[in-house]
This record gives sequence, C-alpha cells and structure tokens, in this order.
Amino acid sequence: MFSLKPTAFAVSITMLAGAPVLAADPSLDLVAPLADYKIYVAENTAQLVADTDAFVEAIKSGDLETAKALYAPTRTSYEKVEPIAELFSDLDVTIDARADDYEHAEADPNFTGFHRIEYALWVEDDTAAAVPFAERLMADVTDLDARINALTFPPDVVVAGAATLMEEVAATKISGEEDRYSGTDLWDFEANFAGAKKIYALLRPLITDDAAFIEKTDGNFDEVDEVLAKYREGEGFKHYEALTDDDRAFLSSRVNTLAEDLSMLPGKLGLS
Amino acid sequence: MSDPSRRMLYVAIAASGALAAAGFAAFAIATSRTADNTTDADRSVTVTAETCQPNAIEVPGGLRTFEIINTSDRPIEWEILDGVMVVAERENIAPGFRQTMKVRLTPGTYAMTCGLLSNPRGTLTVLPSEEAAAAAGNVTLRSFLGPLSEYRVYLSMQGAAAIKAAETLRDAIAAGDIDAARAAWQAARAPYRRIEPLAFRLSDLANTIDPQAAFLELREDDPAFTGFHRIEYALFDQNSLEGLQPVADRLVADLTTLRARLHEVDMTPDLLMALPADMSRMLAESRIPNGEDTYAATDAADLQASLDGVEKLTGLLTPLTDPVDAPLAADIRQATDKARAELDSDAPFDAEARARLAPVFAGLAETLGKLPATIGVD
Repeated sequence: MFSLKPTAFAVSITMLAGAPVLAADPSLDLVAPLADYKIYVAENTAQLVADTDAFVEAIKSGDLETAKALYAPTRTSYEKVEPIAELFSDLDVTIDARADDYEHAEADPNFTGFHRIEYALWVEDDTAAAVPFAERLMADVTDLDARINALTFPPDVVVAGAATLMEEVAATKISGEEDRYSGTDLWDFEANFAGAKKIYALLRPLITDDAAFIEKTDGNFDEVDEVLAKYREGEGFKHYEALTDDDRAFLSSRVNTLAEDLSMLPGKLGLS
Repeated sequence: MSDPSRRMLYVAIAASGALAAAGFAAFAIATSRTADNTTDADRSVTVTAETCQPNAIEVPGGLRTFEIINTSDRPIEWEILDGVMVVAERENIAPGFRQTMKVRLTPGTYAMTCGLLSNPRGTLTVLPSEEAAAAAGNVTLRSFLGPLSEYRVYLSMQGAAAIKAAETLRDAIAAGDIDAARAAWQAARAPYRRIEPLAFRLSDLANTIDPQAAFLELREDDPAFTGFHRIEYALFDQNSLEGLQPVADRLVADLTTLRARLHEVDMTPDLLMALPADMSRMLAESRIPNGEDTYAATDAADLQASLDGVEKLTGLLTPLTDPVDAPLAADIRQATDKARAELDSDAPFDAEARARLAPVFAGLAETLGKLPATIGVD
C-alpha cells in the first residue's frame, strides 16, 4: 500500500545508534533464497489473477453478496507480496491506494482499485458502480503478473522488504484504516505477516551467528499468529471491530518490534 | 547430447571485492529537524500542498544528500522513482518538518513524488560524474546476486514447463493420438532448449534426454537411443507409436530429475558468464552444421528456443556489462539481433542455411566469449 509510515524514521535512527555489527560481504548463499522468493511472488500474482477474475465476474453479474464474499480472499495474494511493492509503485497506486491519498478522497476520479471497489460494494451498495473499477483492476493485476515474471528482483529490496511492510502495518494498517468500509483488515494482516515471514524464513538459515535474534523473531511471529487465530471465522476472519483494544495494542507492539528487528536483516546479510 | 565429454566448469569466485552500492541500490539515512534548523544537504526541496519547489533538479551522480521540507498541511512522503521503481523514499514527514535523505544515484532521469498522488511529479536529472563512473565500474559479487537468482528462477520455470509438456506428450502417446503427440513433442522441445546452456553440462541426463542417433554405434537401433530424438524418430519417421510408452515415461522422469538437479547447482558469476558463449559455440560447431532434428526437420524452431536461452543470459548480464564496456554490450546486442534475424528467415533449413548460420553463431560465441575478461571476475 502506498501510504505513510511514521515508524520508518524511528527505525532508521535505531540503526544508526544501535550500530549492529555488519556482515562484510553478501554471500552467494543468498542466490537460492532470493530465487525461491521470486517464485513465491510469481505464484501469488498468478493466484491474484485467477481470484480477481472470479471477483470481477461476480461484480459484473450484479451479485453483491458473492462480490463482498470474494473481496477479502482475493486481496490476500496481493497483500502477501506487498514487501516488494516498491518495485511496482504505479500499480500499487492503481490497485491498492486509499481514498486519503487523493485530494478529493472517495470522490476523486483517480481513486481506483480494491478500495474503490470496496467503497462501491459496502457504502454505495452498488455493483454497477464498481464495474469500471473491476475491469481496471483485472487489467492491472494481469499487468502486475506479467511484470513480476519479467523482473529481476533487486536483492536489497527483497531483503529490506520484510521490515518495510511491518513498518507500514504498524503505521497505517493496525488502526483498521485500510479496509475501513468492509472491516476485513484481519485478512490483510494475516497475509502481510505471511508475506514478511516468507522473506524471513527463506533468509533465516543464513543467519548463523545470532541465535538470540532468531529466537526473538520466531517468537514474535508466533505470538502474532496466536492472537490472529483467536479471530478466525470460517475461511477467514471476524470483522475488525471484534479486535479488542488489548489485542490491538499487543499486535501493535509485536509489529513494531518485528519492524525494528527485521530492519537488521540487510546488515546481517552484507546488504546494508 | 552431442558432446558428452564436456565437464562441469564451476569455478568458485576468488574474491568478492569491496562493497559498492551498484545500480539503483540505494541506502538512506534519515535525520529529522524542525523547520528552523539547517543542513549540509546537496539539494533542498520544499513540498507545498501542490508541488515540489524546485520542481526540476540536477545533481551529479554519486552519494547525494537531499533535504525535504514539508510546508503543506498533511504528512507527506517524498520518493525518487526510476520508472515505476522507488529508488529511495523518506516517509511521513510531518507538516512543518524537514528530513534529510542520503541516496546513491547513477546518472539518468528520475521522477520525484511531491505529496498527494494527484500532484504533478518533479524531475531529478542525475548527471555523469567521476564518482558515479567509479561506482559503476566496480563489479562486485553483490551485483551478481540479482542475475544469478533470476537465472535460477528461469531454470525452475522452464524446467517445469518442459515437464508439463512432456506429460502431455506421454498422455497423447498413451491415448494413441499421433497428431497430438507430434504437436506435444515440439512444445516440449522449446523449454528444454532454453535451459540447455546449463542442462547440457549434466551429461548423464543429457545423454538420456537428448542423444542423437548419429552419435550412437547402432544408430536408431542402439538401446541407448532414448529421449526426445527417439520419440521424434517414431513420430515423424516411423509414423508409429509402437514401443514408445516407456520412452515417454522415461523422458518425463528424466526431465523431472533434471529440474531437481539444476536446483542443486551452485550458481556462480563465472558460470553465468560462461554459459551463453559455450552454448552459442556448441550450436555453431555441432548442432547447426550436423543438423539435429533429422526426422521432424524442426531445427529452426529449436534454434529459436536456444537463442531465447542465450538472450535470457545476456539480458541478465547487460546491467553489468554496460557500465564497464558499453561497446561490448552493444556488440552483444548486435550479434544476437543478427542471429535472430537470420533465424527468422523463411528459407528452408538446408545445407545452404547451415552454411550461412554457422558463422553467425560462431561470431556470437566469439563476442560472448569476451564477457568474463571484461567483467573481470575471470
């Protein structure tokens, strides 16, 4: 998501002051996990195209209930690849920007993508209003999938991506502002954590000299999973309003810690 | 497989050299000041409610510092974009605040975001400089990580495509549908040829997947005549599916093993640089003059796929070659374009075509052979 991240600044300062010992050079051992990560992303963008096709069909056929039911699950494959959204900033805007990014908010003619459709389905209560945005979304995710397949992923963007996304979750997602019309934020959270954890899990075997870091980070991901598990319902999650203040505060603290800790990955792997 | 004696040529890289942020690799260090402090930034940019001031900036390439001042009434982010990619960004600059950002920039034209998405973007022109040229000429292990990873992805994707197409071929043979089998045979060849630059080095598998009758003692009757050409012989020469099922089963199994073995190969910069020239040379010296698809006469299509595989490699190496030897990068483009143009010809793949194509691919091999010494990890 294209949005503002208050913690980015705090994390950067920590990196300067904390001065973790940096690995000297990147190792060729990074090649395999980087390749595996791209395959993970390509699988997700292929899934996104398939899921969006069904979502768009429901909108076009005027089936409001099915369209609403497909909104959150369709988004999850996009949310999983958000750690590297910097690589397609134009499509991140047209697919996933929020109303606040525009001068005229929901009324802005440039407001498109998932959240514009979400607005049509939940607030305007109107599939017909969503049709042009659904068609645009289909074209955009198809473009995204093709681009991902053709792209050589820059290693530094991938390795930094886990922290980048956690910072964004902390700054502009945990508050429930992303899926404000549908309340499906918990679906996004889970996908965001899964996407960031994928990068961490692929790189973890290369971190051989810091057991404390591994233990702490594993623990934080596990604790996040445990909290989210309490809100599972059917194939997905309860409405964001069900999240208690305590659990939100807990998630927030874990996300901030993860953002800070994962920001050390580039240094640990010689990519800072 | 025409030359089973070729051995694996993996050479570990000797030294990784000093770290330099290459390409658009960027790092940013943030500090924050209230609006009345000053900084030593190379450039100061003020973001108002509607635009960046100035909205067009020129800086020399290298490590540059920008100071971003937010005079609008919303929190903003400021980004430098290279096309659609974010090169560096400073997020959440509060109204009335300023932040500085350091970024290593290579020469070129970039865009700057200026607050709201609806605001017009500014232009950042990065001029050539000694500092930028020195950074670009310093090819490090780090600059190979992206290309090596991407080649692994390519091997995995094309390897999967070859298996899937071979399964279709196997199923068509099982169903007794010779026309479908012929179509499937050709579909399975292309992904195999694309990954052949590395696959042919796994000589045991290459000898069961792709042996040619001409290299076997008993030719078509030789029990070692297996794989693609054995199936081609049955489909296009014998016009028979008899006895083909186990051969097709074996092909699927061998391609599956191949994909797993390719996944285990330790990719190194030296290997990546050697592959395109070696493949082109093999085409020039053996495949093209001898002919390969004797029964189906699909050599031209096979060569197109081989060239796809070579171009994937040279495309991955271009970002490394261009800064250190732009003329060589141009020569490589020209030589591959020439090979492609010759293959696009509608002329039959006869002796005359072979005589015309062989030197074209030999020239390509010679040009590509300059890569290792030029990039300097020889």
